[in-house]
Amino acid sequence: MFGLDYSWLSDPAYQQWLLKGILNTIELAALSSCAAVIIGLVGALALTLRIFWLDAIVELFVEVFRNTPPLLQMLFAYFTLSTLGLKVTDPSTGLSVPLLSAFACASISLSLFGGALAIEAFRSGIETMPRSIIEAARSLGYSRWSRFWKVEAPIAARICLPALTNILTNLFKTTSQASVITVPELMYYAGQIYNDTFRTLEVMILVLLIYVSLVSIVTFAMARLERWMAFPGYGKGH
Amino acid sequence: MNRSDALIEIDGIRKSFGTFEVLKGISLNVSKGEAVCIIGPSGSGKSTILRCINGLIPINEGFIRVGNHRVHEMRSEKAMRPLRHQVAMVFQQYNLFPHRTALENIMMAPIQVLGHDKAEVEDRARKLLAKVRLSEKADSYPGQLSGGQQQRVAIARALAMQPDIILFDEVTAALDPETVKEVLFTIRQLVEEGLTCVLVTHEMKFAREVSHRVCFTDRGMIVESAPPAEFFDNPQDPRTREFLGQVL
Ligand SMILES: Nc1ncnc2c1ncn2[C@@H]1O[C@H](COP(=O)(O)OP(=O)(O)OP(=O)(O)O)[C@@H](O)[C@H]1O
Ligand SMILES: [Mg+2]
Repeated sequence: MFGLDYSWLSDPAYQQWLLKGILNTIELAALSSCAAVIIGLVGALALTLRIFWLDAIVELFVEVFRNTPPLLQMLFAYFTLSTLGLKVTDPSTGLSVPLLSAFACASISLSLFGGALAIEAFRSGIETMPRSIIEAARSLGYSRWSRFWKVEAPIAARICLPALTNILTNLFKTTSQASVITVPELMYYAGQIYNDTFRTLEVMILVLLIYVSLVSIVTFAMARLERWMAFPGYGKGH
Repeated sequence: MNRSDALIEIDGIRKSFGTFEVLKGISLNVSKGEAVCIIGPSGSGKSTILRCINGLIPINEGFIRVGNHRVHEMRSEKAMRPLRHQVAMVFQQYNLFPHRTALENIMMAPIQVLGHDKAEVEDRARKLLAKVRLSEKADSYPGQLSGGQQQRVAIARALAMQPDIILFDEVTAALDPETVKEVLFTIRQLVEEGLTCVLVTHEMKFAREVSHRVCFTDRGMIVESAPPAEFFDNPQDPRTREFLGQVL
């Protein structure tokens, strides 16, 4: 059909590669998404403390990771972290290997990138909190800490969920850059396959469809979460 | 009135925002069971007085005592917790928590702040909802309630803290005339039950009928304070006369 040749897909070796690539992509995305959310929470929380030097650190972190290309960040992480000389001895082979694999470097770099974006999203969610709500909580005797967890955080979470969806889908797509530092994820194996078969267009179409499906799962899950967390008067509530 | 008998004792408080002095020496005593209305032009510092009483904003100078709490000496939110337990506040914009239902709004603070037993609090909350005549709205979110209904939930939320004093800050100002009645009905009931109330209001008729004393504020000072009959029929200060002339 249309002169496309997918006969190579019947080769179990290529099937294996694709499957491995998909699993690694998912693992990388899941790991860095979780870490990004945690970094985002910790960072946004730190900003609420209004401590001068802490603000400066978080601010600097956000600026650096938000305003530089994620590909550069990943290369930077790879060439600095993996050559730090941290080595461990693999107990099974007895060989000395770098402590931080390419996969680990990619996870760290993506986590920091996503984390910086998440800090921004959570911060703006907290900042758009009406002052009157905070005043009501204070007048009911809430301490700063319990006010944050019982009142501000749940409301802010609903406000920043759409922004978080964007960040997570963005992060998922950015995992493809890990192929550049030899992480064997989907994009990496795609390259291997078309180098082997010269079926570049066919491979790209397939990979594109796989990415669309995987990212759709993320957006679908987030939409469900948004609907579940919605309350009348805010966001998707009605 | 003997000062030490007063439940709320305010003496010479001053408050500035930046260089702008909002309160210029306010003194006011409120005894137990008394309902005091504060009226006055916009920007004269009425809301600021209420916020000082429950420590929402710190004062620059002066003395505030509520029960046993010396409010002007309190610094942290934690230290203010017993004060906030004793003094509840209801706001013009209701300020309900939008992510919780009416019932949950009422139950939250008694459980989370006062550590009261959940079952007992739910029982209390349902009784309060019945009292403000909103039992059927227990599971509605604030976004699904009318302004008047939200305000009555807010009053129930304040009552659930079992306060000795409630501060009302223009609680009917955002409501349409029909719903104003429902809310005023609820407040009148509380005053009749002997709850100590400080009310900032624009409802002159209500102030006259319900309060024991009316204070008139102008540019950060209380210029006149008298029982309602005297205050409305025979105002002493020219500024009071002028204001009443405009609004009555
Ligand atoms: N947080 C604040 N920062 C700066 N200025 C403030 C603040 N809160 C109040 N003010 C100013 O203090 C003055 C008194 O405010 P306040 O809210 O007490 O007036 P009010 O008598 O309640 O008026 P209204 O009837 O309009 O509610 C106003 O001029 C207001 O602009
Ligand atoms: Mg006001």
